[in-house]
Amino acid sequence: MEIELLHQPDSAIAKIHLAPGEELIAQAGAMVAMSSHINPSTSLHRGKGGSLMGAVGRMLAGQSLFLSVFRTAIPAEIFLAPKLMGDLLICDLANSNLVVQSGSYLASASTVNLDLGFQGLKSVFSGEGLFWLDLSGIGSVLLTSFGGIYTIPVNGEYIVDTGHIVAFEKSLSFTIDKAGDSWLGSFLGGEGFVCRFQGQGKVYCQTHNNYALRRQVGSKLSTR
Amino acid sequence: MAAHDEYHYTIDHAPAYASLILNLKPNQTVVVEASAMAAMDSCIQMDTKVRGGAMQGLKRMLGGESLFMNEFTAQGQGGQLYVSPGVPGDIQHYRLGGSQDSLMVQSSGFVAASPTVNVDSQFQGLKGFFSGESLFLLRLTGAGSVWFSSYGGIVEIPVEGSYVVDTGYIVAFEESLSYHVEMLGGLSWRGIRTGLLGGDGLVCRFQGRGRLWIQSRNLYNLVNFLRPMQTSSSS
Repeated sequence: MEIELLHQPDSAIAKIHLAPGEELIAQAGAMVAMSSHINPSTSLHRGKGGSLMGAVGRMLAGQSLFLSVFRTAIPAEIFLAPKLMGDLLICDLANSNLVVQSGSYLASASTVNLDLGFQGLKSVFSGEGLFWLDLSGIGSVLLTSFGGIYTIPVNGEYIVDTGHIVAFEKSLSFTIDKAGDSWLGSFLGGEGFVCRFQGQGKVYCQTHNNYALRRQVGSKLSTR
Repeated sequence: MAAHDEYHYTIDHAPAYASLILNLKPNQTVVVEASAMAAMDSCIQMDTKVRGGAMQGLKRMLGGESLFMNEFTAQGQGGQLYVSPGVPGDIQHYRLGGSQDSLMVQSSGFVAASPTVNVDSQFQGLKGFFSGESLFLLRLTGAGSVWFSSYGGIVEIPVEGSYVVDTGYIVAFEESLSYHVEMLGGLSWRGIRTGLLGGDGLVCRFQGRGRLWIQSRNLYNLVNFLRPMQTSSSS
């Protein structure tokens, strides 16, 4: 699987060359264009385990993903793009697991294991349909960002606003915390919740927070 | 500068904020989409016309485009003209060779053209009905230069055989390609239009030999993302 990134950093689109027998998994709706002999199928990927009610609950809670699988019998190409303006980043998984914000996941090779329901960062307040995917295995992963994307190599401790996290290596330990010394101060100051990372590993961040844009712009849209 | 073209032009700030800068020769005219002119030398004269006559103008209006187009002419001396499409994205230049040459462009994508190019609105009927996209394509014929725009970056695809494109991402294509819109069941969950939750599965299948231009973003995704915050009159 060869991935080419075009039109970076604002309108990034991925051109993926698929070899016969290779399978590509992507967020449903990400396909822009493709060779006509590629065979797509889409399914609802639910959070791990539990009863049917649990699965339904997760779907209602927004913790589900519609995923498309693309297969081909002969060499083919496919273009994938994210929904919002921003960049793309290719991560090649080998040893470390990657925890990815649900909105930042675009695609991955089928050799990468996608696990929904990563509970570590679960927070009532992280809201807005934000949930986290646990990626493991070997293969390429395509991440998207709202705005630019940058890497922070954590060695010790680092603080990142939760809305700006694209993905991070699972080797890092973390806690959700308040930005300042007081909870009131943190909310008044607009920072709310931050993620304190500890240890060694990479954190991939986006320069902008799409939910912040939605809060600011959406509320100014004329009433329906 | 594309020196071999009849027009001296550059496209700056592509692919996200592309702007077309034309350096018109003395007495040269260019036709520009209404409201797209950003800046110009004072020697350039603007004439607003209903290009192609009343019927064409009305067809354009039905397609959501303006009834009018503007003709910019550099009077007596050369002049510079800055043109920007309403939606930020990319701009692509294309040369029509006359006779059989024909380019189909999404109706909101027309930026500018030589006066020798015919711009004809084409109602696509039910072809695009379920996509929510514009039902109109523009059919450009004649000889001369054309510039079209997109939301996001433009990617050119040389088609030989068959290619599938999500309807929301089509920018332009050569008419040598035949096309039809279909619902590709495998792209949506159980064939349902999952819309916000996934893709809508509507694609356009192109066949034959020709060039196709796609864009890397779809404006509806931005609109749908912002929509949940929109207050409704009942609240």
